[in-house]
Amino acid sequence: MGRNSVKMALYLGAMAAFLVIFCSHGFAAEINNEPIELPGLLLAQQTQVSADKQTETPKDEVLDQEKRNEDEDEFDDEDEFDDEDEYDDEGPEEDLISDPLIWMNRGIYHFNDKMYFWVLKPVARGYGYVVPEELRLAIRNMFYNVRFPVRFVNCLLQGKVRKSGSEFGQFFINTTVGFLGMQNVAANYPKLQPSKEDLGQTFAVWGIGNGPFLMLPFFGPSSIRDGLGRLGDTFLDPLWWYFDDLWVSLGIRAGETVNETSTRIGEYEALKEAAIDPYIMLRNAYVQNRNKLIAE
Amino acid sequence: MSKRYVGLLILIVLAVMIPLQAHATTPKATVETAVNGLLKILASSDFKAKTKDEKIAIISEQIEPFFDFKALSRRTLGREWKKMSGEQQTEFVGLFKKLLQGVYADRLLAYSDQKVLFEKEIILKKGRAEVQSYLQTSDGKKIPLFYRLSNKTGSWKVYDVIIEGVSMVKNYRTQFRQILSKDSPDKLLEILRKKVGQS
Repeated sequence: MGRNSVKMALYLGAMAAFLVIFCSHGFAAEINNEPIELPGLLLAQQTQVSADKQTETPKDEVLDQEKRNEDEDEFDDEDEFDDEDEYDDEGPEEDLISDPLIWMNRGIYHFNDKMYFWVLKPVARGYGYVVPEELRLAIRNMFYNVRFPVRFVNCLLQGKVRKSGSEFGQFFINTTVGFLGMQNVAANYPKLQPSKEDLGQTFAVWGIGNGPFLMLPFFGPSSIRDGLGRLGDTFLDPLWWYFDDLWVSLGIRAGETVNETSTRIGEYEALKEAAIDPYIMLRNAYVQNRNKLIAE
Repeated sequence: MSKRYVGLLILIVLAVMIPLQAHATTPKATVETAVNGLLKILASSDFKAKTKDEKIAIISEQIEPFFDFKALSRRTLGREWKKMSGEQQTEFVGLFKKLLQGVYADRLLAYSDQKVLFEKEIILKKGRAEVQSYLQTSDGKKIPLFYRLSNKTGSWKVYDVIIEGVSMVKNYRTQFRQILSKDSPDKLLEILRKKVGQS
């Protein structure tokens, strides 16, 4: 168990780092930066706080922000295109995230980009040559299956009882019929294909905003909220706690990443190729994708 | 045949045609026709023998009538659109179109072995609709791929594609705004020219 205290120390270090970033940008100010759709009371509370907030944030820090009032008269004198306000209807906050740490984030993005092309991709390629694709997909499915507690508990924390049932059904079928999760047998049943829940989403459902955008080394785009969620989720990750030795746990994580990457070589390249500014593209895509997951 | 009957005949023909046409032009049918047409071309051995550049050219030509690139460009630029001159706008539409066609063709070629499922269409406000399709991967996962269409000229045309919740228009919008917040539209066009030229 002595080894686990090393992990604990790592946690505390990471928590401290998050808190430092968090506090340096004003806890109360950032946490409600990004109101999301919530029923009833929470929403009212939320929008009020965020309204107060709007005036506090220095304008140059909020890069993606679209001021609603500016957008409303945007196409006033256009009769040819009178439907341009569409994305306003859906909520102008959708791609709003503050990025006060943009220089640090861009640096980390650059690092991740190099890590991918210089280390991860060649390793994953070599691994892909040796290990047949069926096996790699089976390994990927097993990793997904064994993390069931993370998704299940987060369903419950969000009060999504029906979805937690789907998670349980998927886990049960894939563990038994699917041979320890190697086969995704549950894919044959549309109801047993719940979208993934995590602690970052749970925080969002509880009314906590993204906070500043954060590019994590190795893990990629995130936010203060989702980064903390990621940290919290490892508490429920059996693979992280089963082995006492920190290096074994880290090794498994690295192995998983190589395996996962080998199944999706080309995806990041394509995204980058399509982008004008890959960093901004990733940041915006991350927030849009998270908002969809949170809504599900 | 007397003139009376000719009139009647035309009327009958029209009456028969109208519902048919209405049926053929629902948003979902439009997207289905376009995508299935593309998949058919992609599967042909004739197509497979071609070079990558030729493939991209063929796909670009195929999707051209289904996209409203002007509306797409306007939405992407938002309020910046009006700050551009007519010439700049025209050039922007052309460059952005080329960029998107390249990206779309590239992705299509990468995913061509996957099944496309069409689930439903949702009619939105002001003559707009969303067609929800899914790419089914070999291991049973479904990747949501939604098309947004508008009907301004009597036919449905795509103005945005939303993949896993990420709207292409919104995504490019933040990128373009980032550039335009510091630089002139001319600079943006220059960046785009370079981007399209290289790929």
